[in-house]
Amino acid sequence: MRPSRREFVKWLSAGGISVSLSHLASAANAPFAAHETLPGRGNFNPATKGAGRVDGVAKVTGAKLYASDFRANDLPGWPQTTSHAILVRANDATHVYTGMDLARLAGPLKPSVVVTASDLGRIGTQVPEFYAGDLFCPLGKTPLYLGQPVALLIFETFDAFDQARLVLRDGTFVKFGEETGPVIAPDYGSYRFTRVAGPSPDKPDLYSPIQAGWVSPKKVQNAALPVWSPLAREMPADYVKAAKLGDQIRTELAADNASLLVLDREFETQSVDPMFLEPECGLAWYSGKGGNLELVLGVQSPYEAAESLAHLLGKAHAPYKPSHINAQFAHVGGGFGGRDHTPFILYVALAAILFPGKPVRLAHDRYQQFQGGIKRHPIKMRSRIGIDRATGLIKAFAADHVLDGGGLQNFSTNVAVVAATGAIGIYDIPKVDVTTIALHSRGVTAGSMRGYGTLQTMTALEALIDEAASELKLDPIEFRRRNALKQNGRTMTGNPYIVSVRTPEILDRLEKHPIWQQRAQLRQTSGDRLVGTGVACVTKDYGSGADCSLGRVELGADGRIAIFCDHVEMGNGIGTALANRVASHLGAIADEVSVARVDSYDVLGLVTSGDPYTMDQRTQDAAERNPRWVPSISSATSASIGAHVGTHSSSEAARVIFRFGLWPAALELWRIPKTDPRARQWANASWQNGQLTMPGLAPLALPALAATAHARGFVTGAVAHSFSRWAWSRARFPMFGEQYRADIDALAIRRGNTRFERINRTSVKFPPTDNNRIGTAYTSMCGTLVRVEIDRASGALRIAKAYSVFECGTALVPEVVMGQSHGGFAMGVGYALLETLPPFEGGPGNGEWNLGRYLVARGSDLPLRDLEIEMLKPLTPDEAPKGMAEVVMIPIVPALINAIHDATGHRFRALPVTANLLKGVLA
Amino acid sequence: MTTLSLTINGRKHGPMDVRDDLSMNDFLREMLGMTGTKFGCGAAQCLSCAIIVDAPDGTSYTSPTCVAPAVNFDGKSIRTVEGHAKDGQLSALQQAFIDHFAFQCGYCTAGFLNEGQVLLERLSRAPVAREALEQTIADALDGHLCRCTGYIRYHEAVRDVILADSSRYLVATK
Repeated sequence: MRPSRREFVKWLSAGGISVSLSHLASAANAPFAAHETLPGRGNFNPATKGAGRVDGVAKVTGAKLYASDFRANDLPGWPQTTSHAILVRANDATHVYTGMDLARLAGPLKPSVVVTASDLGRIGTQVPEFYAGDLFCPLGKTPLYLGQPVALLIFETFDAFDQARLVLRDGTFVKFGEETGPVIAPDYGSYRFTRVAGPSPDKPDLYSPIQAGWVSPKKVQNAALPVWSPLAREMPADYVKAAKLGDQIRTELAADNASLLVLDREFETQSVDPMFLEPECGLAWYSGKGGNLELVLGVQSPYEAAESLAHLLGKAHAPYKPSHINAQFAHVGGGFGGRDHTPFILYVALAAILFPGKPVRLAHDRYQQFQGGIKRHPIKMRSRIGIDRATGLIKAFAADHVLDGGGLQNFSTNVAVVAATGAIGIYDIPKVDVTTIALHSRGVTAGSMRGYGTLQTMTALEALIDEAASELKLDPIEFRRRNALKQNGRTMTGNPYIVSVRTPEILDRLEKHPIWQQRAQLRQTSGDRLVGTGVACVTKDYGSGADCSLGRVELGADGRIAIFCDHVEMGNGIGTALANRVASHLGAIADEVSVARVDSYDVLGLVTSGDPYTMDQRTQDAAERNPRWVPSISSATSASIGAHVGTHSSSEAARVIFRFGLWPAALELWRIPKTDPRARQWANASWQNGQLTMPGLAPLALPALAATAHARGFVTGAVAHSFSRWAWSRARFPMFGEQYRADIDALAIRRGNTRFERINRTSVKFPPTDNNRIGTAYTSMCGTLVRVEIDRASGALRIAKAYSVFECGTALVPEVVMGQSHGGFAMGVGYALLETLPPFEGGPGNGEWNLGRYLVARGSDLPLRDLEIEMLKPLTPDEAPKGMAEVVMIPIVPALINAIHDATGHRFRALPVTANLLKGVLA
Repeated sequence: MTTLSLTINGRKHGPMDVRDDLSMNDFLREMLGMTGTKFGCGAAQCLSCAIIVDAPDGTSYTSPTCVAPAVNFDGKSIRTVEGHAKDGQLSALQQAFIDHFAFQCGYCTAGFLNEGQVLLERLSRAPVAREALEQTIADALDGHLCRCTGYIRYHEAVRDVILADSSRYLVATK
């Protein structure tokens, strides 16, 4: 079973605190439009025709959008003055923390409040399990990790705060005593994925995780050593079974077998920062004495944030326990995973709780963001691959992964699992054995980041594949084609993908591209300038295995459309994607799109219980008898689910409005009686330029249809919830004399101008809990070619040309999809060639890191005029959208590594490959 | 404390007393509430904080605000992202950014907009040849960091504005 992502807090009743969440735009006096409004209203679906995104005008005019833009005087009903807090973090994790010397903050610079670990016990906070660990390092203890907070300093005025932060800049006021060495803590989790295929593809597997369940040695030890070797006697029986098969695979790979090419290689990746441009920030105001706690936050996971805050304060003593928490969520200035389940919000809340009556702003500067922000996991990998020399077919693969999770668990276990199950990339390999362990260290906490572990493991794999092809003297693309997993082939966990697998098509395009065709002709391995070409092809899951969304769509009597969605806009264009997807049902782009909206679905009355990742079937079967129960209410905007999941509920809500609102209105206007066969031919109707058309009938404009639907009390609004566990939940709803079936599990409708009413489902089929044994079932593919030029004397590398080709089903906003692929390319180049953070001392936890020292790709690092990106057309006009934000980044990295080898003859087995390293091997 | 007077987007501010060590970024964001100018790194490395300074000789240039004291701008005339649109009409560059989907999260947009605008104004005074245009754009925008987009669409947007009025921005070809 997949480990729980978090403790499930039943937040609505947590400690008696009521919770509400809303989009920040509900601040009525904020100096910008309450909801994003599309430019070009009047043109049909302008966003799909390159006429902008829903947040376009706000973003080019500097409107207040981000959490960091807001101060207390921007928010209605708040006090006018904003106080400011500094989160002080430890820059040492090998000595005992002995306190702060704040003598330099004399007179007006003296903080109004100093919050330390002792205050937390005094007021009765409880740390959510997901963030387990001391929120502040207590006096007399060695910090758990570099960058662990030790105190909050709160200043009533901006001037005092501003001067104090300058005075404290060097960090030497945080004092340490006796040397203890780093804190040793148990590992975060370890798993083993073993699969032995049957004698032929059509036969069942002999062993697979989907048959036997996921296995873990479950042997916690306080040392950074593998826990699976040698096999201990006390291991769980299910683990022993997998381990014996796995060890057998390893024995075969180690045998002296001339018919098998075996490569045994290590690869190491580095720690990097998401480097989203807006440092984390929040604003909070606690009225005190058990009143309201108001917050303005910018996160990828609004529901989780609310749950965590309710848990944090659920058992607080009076007067520190608020009766109500109202969290408002803003757009985020970049996320890339780094704002998903971030502990930062807990400190925002604490600052307000301990300075009651005063709005307090807590904002990282860039040094602090490097010091405390979530990082990407460094992974040490050892991979063994065995290939039949005669056929060029991969027979077996074994790997061991060790992830450095840093100071707090966060998503380390999940990243380890996703990294492991992605370790065989696009390939069909009959025998696989991968072990993985995520370790605690004194490094800055690692967690979710674009690629989620597979960037690391697929980079190692694709470099290995390149080497194997070279050893076998096979063309690298032909070798990939020969071994690529086919449509119904089984993944490492033993299940097939349930979406299109277009690897062959992608490999064909890579092969035919001029960059590949010209590789031999242009290759230079001697002289001052070296030239080489590299290729890589990967597949990346989208979705986490328990994803959901909420959507509400309203149609006005004048045809105006409003959409509300719980997913967050972090630049991924979710708002525009929503507008386009709804437009496919309602014929017009929405007038209002409100994202990060989690306050608009009360009518559904949803309840939940248990953990969707670990729940057993019997529990789910029992729970679903309550027609308001769902496995999970709201998901973080992560795992590339924006297009696929984030827009799904709104799309289904719009479908209901069409089917039970606009369609019956059209029948009336066309004077088609219900008995006419055409009355059930709604599937034959289509929208053209804002008008509903049917062969042989007069086109009908949306406003006329909307007016009729309102006048006749047809459906004019719908609210829906959907859940996916590698398949959609599906339910029946009694409506208008029929049982309406849809890929949703909760529904409410509005007739005419009445209030929304819940439609209790009459039956539901949630995806089986056995699906939790699936590693991934949704996946997208991407392949990349790069040609590099390397200056021998300096090691300077220039990307001369590059080509990426990917598929993503139906692109909801093609321009955004292409933009994301451009961005993925840039981030991949940075990861491969530039970005790195030392893990411990000297790393970002010391509070001395910033841009300039940390290099990310600039325009001049990229082939801006020589980057070609091709998005494959969907296989069918109605193919569902597929997540693509991560997959487009991954092949860039191994393609560069392979191109460097082609040019230099040197295989780098660690990242990044900097100019200095290149210069070193070329000297 | 120093007395500061300046013009922002055509509107006079001050005189007002500000601390000598108050950054221009904090002056705009904390004292005036003009948060369209962003804070990214505090080290003049990302330039999401860049604003336009209008020089007395009619030229313009960008300046980071995160490392510059507010008092350095005493007597100067500056423009920020909030000042580009006139009477509700977006500037050509703002519209091009939207049309090209140039940004995603948008946090870097103000800096790119200001830099692009300064480039347009420089080219209108000193046009370049068409063949030099790509490098001119690349050089102008290279100091600005964007983590979402890969820069291509920002460059395309600036290029399109220039090419749409080539007689103004480019040296006439024979």
